[in-house]
Amino acid sequence: MSPFQYTDFPELANVDTHTAHHGNRLEDLRLVTGTGKYTADWNLPGQLYACFVRSDRAHAEIVSVDVSGARQHPGVARVYTGEDALRAGYDKFFVIVNWPGRGGEHMKKPARPSLAVGKVRHVGDAVAMVIADSPVAAQDAAELVTVEYRDLPAVVTVEEAMAEGAPQLHDDAPGNLSFDFEGGSEDAVKAALANAAHVTRARLEITRVAPSPLELRASNVEYDAQADVYHVYTCIQGINMLRKQLSFATDVPEEKIIVHAQDVGGSFGQRSAAYPEHCMQMLAARELGKPVKWVSTRAEGFMTDTHGRANTVTGELALDRDGKFLGLRIDWLADMGAYLSATGSASHTRNPNACMTGVYRIPALYGRFRLIFTNTVPVAAYRGAGRPDIAYVIERLVSQAAAELKLDPAELRRRNFLPPEAFPYKTPTGSTYENADMPAILEKALGLADWKGFPKRRAQSEKQGKLRGIGIATVIENTGAGLFPKDQVAIECGADGTVTAYTVAHSSGQGHETTFAMVIAGALGIPIEKVRVREGIHDKGLIGNHTGGSRSLVGAGSVCKLAAQKLIEQGRSRAAEELDVEPSQVEYSHGAFHTRGSKKHVRLADLAKNGPFATMTEASVGSTFPNGCHIAEVEIDPETGTTRIAAYNTVDDAGNVINHSVVEGQVHGAVMQGAGQIFCEKVVYDQDTGQLMTGSFMDYCMPRAGMLPDIHIVDHPLPSGNNALGAKGVGEAGCTASLPALANAMMDALRPLGIQHLDMPFTPATVWGAIRAARKN
Amino acid sequence: MYALNYVKVKSLAEAAKMLASNPEAKLMAGGMTLVPTLKQRLAQPSHLVDIGALPELRGITAKAGTLTIGAATKHHDVATSAVAKKAIPSLAYLAGLIGDPQVRNLGTIGGSVANNDPAADYPAAVLGLGATVVTNKREIAADDYFQGMFTTALEEGEIITRIVFPVPRRAAYAKFAHPASGYAMAGVFVAQTSDGTRVAVTGAGPGVFRWKAAETALGKNPKAAAIEGVALDAGEMNEDIHATREYRANLVRVMAKRAIAQLR
Repeated sequence: MSPFQYTDFPELANVDTHTAHHGNRLEDLRLVTGTGKYTADWNLPGQLYACFVRSDRAHAEIVSVDVSGARQHPGVARVYTGEDALRAGYDKFFVIVNWPGRGGEHMKKPARPSLAVGKVRHVGDAVAMVIADSPVAAQDAAELVTVEYRDLPAVVTVEEAMAEGAPQLHDDAPGNLSFDFEGGSEDAVKAALANAAHVTRARLEITRVAPSPLELRASNVEYDAQADVYHVYTCIQGINMLRKQLSFATDVPEEKIIVHAQDVGGSFGQRSAAYPEHCMQMLAARELGKPVKWVSTRAEGFMTDTHGRANTVTGELALDRDGKFLGLRIDWLADMGAYLSATGSASHTRNPNACMTGVYRIPALYGRFRLIFTNTVPVAAYRGAGRPDIAYVIERLVSQAAAELKLDPAELRRRNFLPPEAFPYKTPTGSTYENADMPAILEKALGLADWKGFPKRRAQSEKQGKLRGIGIATVIENTGAGLFPKDQVAIECGADGTVTAYTVAHSSGQGHETTFAMVIAGALGIPIEKVRVREGIHDKGLIGNHTGGSRSLVGAGSVCKLAAQKLIEQGRSRAAEELDVEPSQVEYSHGAFHTRGSKKHVRLADLAKNGPFATMTEASVGSTFPNGCHIAEVEIDPETGTTRIAAYNTVDDAGNVINHSVVEGQVHGAVMQGAGQIFCEKVVYDQDTGQLMTGSFMDYCMPRAGMLPDIHIVDHPLPSGNNALGAKGVGEAGCTASLPALANAMMDALRPLGIQHLDMPFTPATVWGAIRAARKN
Repeated sequence: MYALNYVKVKSLAEAAKMLASNPEAKLMAGGMTLVPTLKQRLAQPSHLVDIGALPELRGITAKAGTLTIGAATKHHDVATSAVAKKAIPSLAYLAGLIGDPQVRNLGTIGGSVANNDPAADYPAAVLGLGATVVTNKREIAADDYFQGMFTTALEEGEIITRIVFPVPRRAAYAKFAHPASGYAMAGVFVAQTSDGTRVAVTGAGPGVFRWKAAETALGKNPKAAAIEGVALDAGEMNEDIHATREYRANLVRVMAKRAIAQLR
């Protein structure tokens, strides 16, 4: 018995957007019974196996690479080094940023050979690739490759990297500076700060995190010599973006690269990039004439999968006597790691710049964003891609300002919110916010969190020797406009009445197969069981964006609705012919066309008698602006520094909601990810040697389910006019709001002890240390 | 993992023989530490001698003031054993805190005690209760058995067969789990025995140790307050990227107080 109750046709007659739906997701049975197909599950006849030899040091010249022992090892087909990468011309990777920065200067994009040449720049940098007929032979032979290095001093923090005389990673990026970008008006902010009654300042670390999706990175590449086409089976966020990047890196034309994927076990931005391993596998597959498979180990993942965040931001908020915001200055130092990823640079310049005003009216804004190279793993987009970072900075400043001015943090926000009548609002850094109702959202959240009852709860905690704090975050973010100008969806109805839709947006847990199916079932008035959503299908030749930037429902999802509507319109004229009436006399409902007053009808399925009845449609959607308020409450045990999240409440405006369960899942996951970053996750490098100290889950702390209590999730949908669904997206909102909400709660608990500043992660050891230091003073 | 020979032995004698004739052979019970080590190619034994399923090494029995646990008994079996819970409830409680359900259903007490990970839970109970480690060759008192990080009194080829715990008057274990690994960042086992109070600490230092100053203080006054000012040298504690020595020393004192408050 299906959990779905969509067989009752009349209720679906005019379904536009569905209300709450609490069934299981269509994809879940497959995923939880182990019948999903992930990248490592692809095995191709005659495949060989790759194993990479990786640098065990952070920064060194490569004196020599001796592969003679490896080459003679039984089962080895070939050993590749950096020279092979150069020979193939594989020395560059795609970077989104193509606009000028401060003073018209362009970004420095140093070469990155797919295997290191001349120098290694981070622990894990690949130096050689061994191809053998079994994974064990490849691994054994890789141990026989001997690399002679001449060590160079390493830099693992942006401060060190920017210091005079610092070791230089790339000859063509002096000062280890890749890009110097600015937004807003420097002079206007200078004046605002000079005229302010009060300035709140903070320097905040947004720690480097390892995304660590459950599915390890993997790829299997086959070269079809007859067609001169590469088939790349890998874990992705969307086939097109990877193809574009692989083409850029290898100079193989896009149409000669076919990317395949089915199930993907988590992405978080880490799957948005083309990696050196992909390129080297393409080269080997072509030269050896056999498919080449590679599956990462978790240890390799920590030292080669792109990391996230890694920003050090100084913020200054100027206020007048009444607590009105006058100006905000941001000085943003982004650690890019040793090389540029596709997305890291845009994530840490354009995205925070777009939302620098937060949900407030701030007349003067100025942000300077510098991207710095260090001897660490490259940094890429990570759930929110700079938006949680800027929200974190703004919201911590606002709550800190409230504390400094002895104002209620809710009241300070109320005084500065953009009022609903201000929308559409053009921000001083160039975004146009469509709509938001922050006053209503805040009041709803305050009620949900029983804000007024907090002093009583704090007193109860105090009686038990505990410190209690409450924190608000009111946030907004720009969803990703996408790398491609439009999103296309193909849709077809088969003779059995099954409707199949094809999209480029690729699910890695978002539940597209359910949500998009609901959209289509709703538009066509047919049971959801009759709808299939297929992703990662190259043959359809669709243009479209990958899943990222909270945009899939807004983009591909809304086009699913348009595609279904177009299917009806096309069917109407064909049905009119069969019914022998004018198209205007044909009505459609519940999968069938009929005329008024006649029992004759033509089903969608009937139109597919002689082959699938199909159409394709597209739309260009830009950014939407999801917004919301999260309120977190924490309780700290001062004896051990341990924090318990006592309550967590969210009111999110994700626009129209198609599936509340899926929205809840997104919020749960993202808040948990935020909690992980706030309380435990942190990539640590040794300051002297550049060695990765958090190279396994024994040292890298992932959040556990038990960290979060029940989250109270309330929707506050204000429809967007941007797309056919009125959706705004929700994938990243939970990260954007939870980082500041949780940190503000922590600071609220600690401030009474005289602790004015503390950075994430608020580990028990860090919190205890801060309490101890405060009590000593 | 490097290629190796896996041998599932049928008796303790066969295991001893395998070890004697293959100097590079390695004994395995649950494999919860050994298998990850092998997977990362950090060890290259010639043979894996699996004693995990030997019936003679399993079982939990109580008699004459002792609780005896066979070396290959799984953590889960100890955690849920009515016999263990009745005799030494704090020991069953400790077993239930080890790792996760998968680890508890594979890992063994003998493996844990033989490995002597400085952050493992069982060593705190073995030392705290003054247990006896029984091998195929002799009996070793806990005080003589643990010799620092991953080091024990076991000799080459010596196999733990069971651990004999004297049933204390009251005992308790308080653990502060490492946020990442779940091992003890500080675990304190307090036992009131016929020979006096014993306090054993795991996780905080380079190996399990007895906090003798606390034992003396508790001998005079068995209340948590008794150890408030008792000397504990932070300099003896571990320090790493996760926590300072001072924090670990604090945790030892806090966990000790919590254990004392839970004695039963």
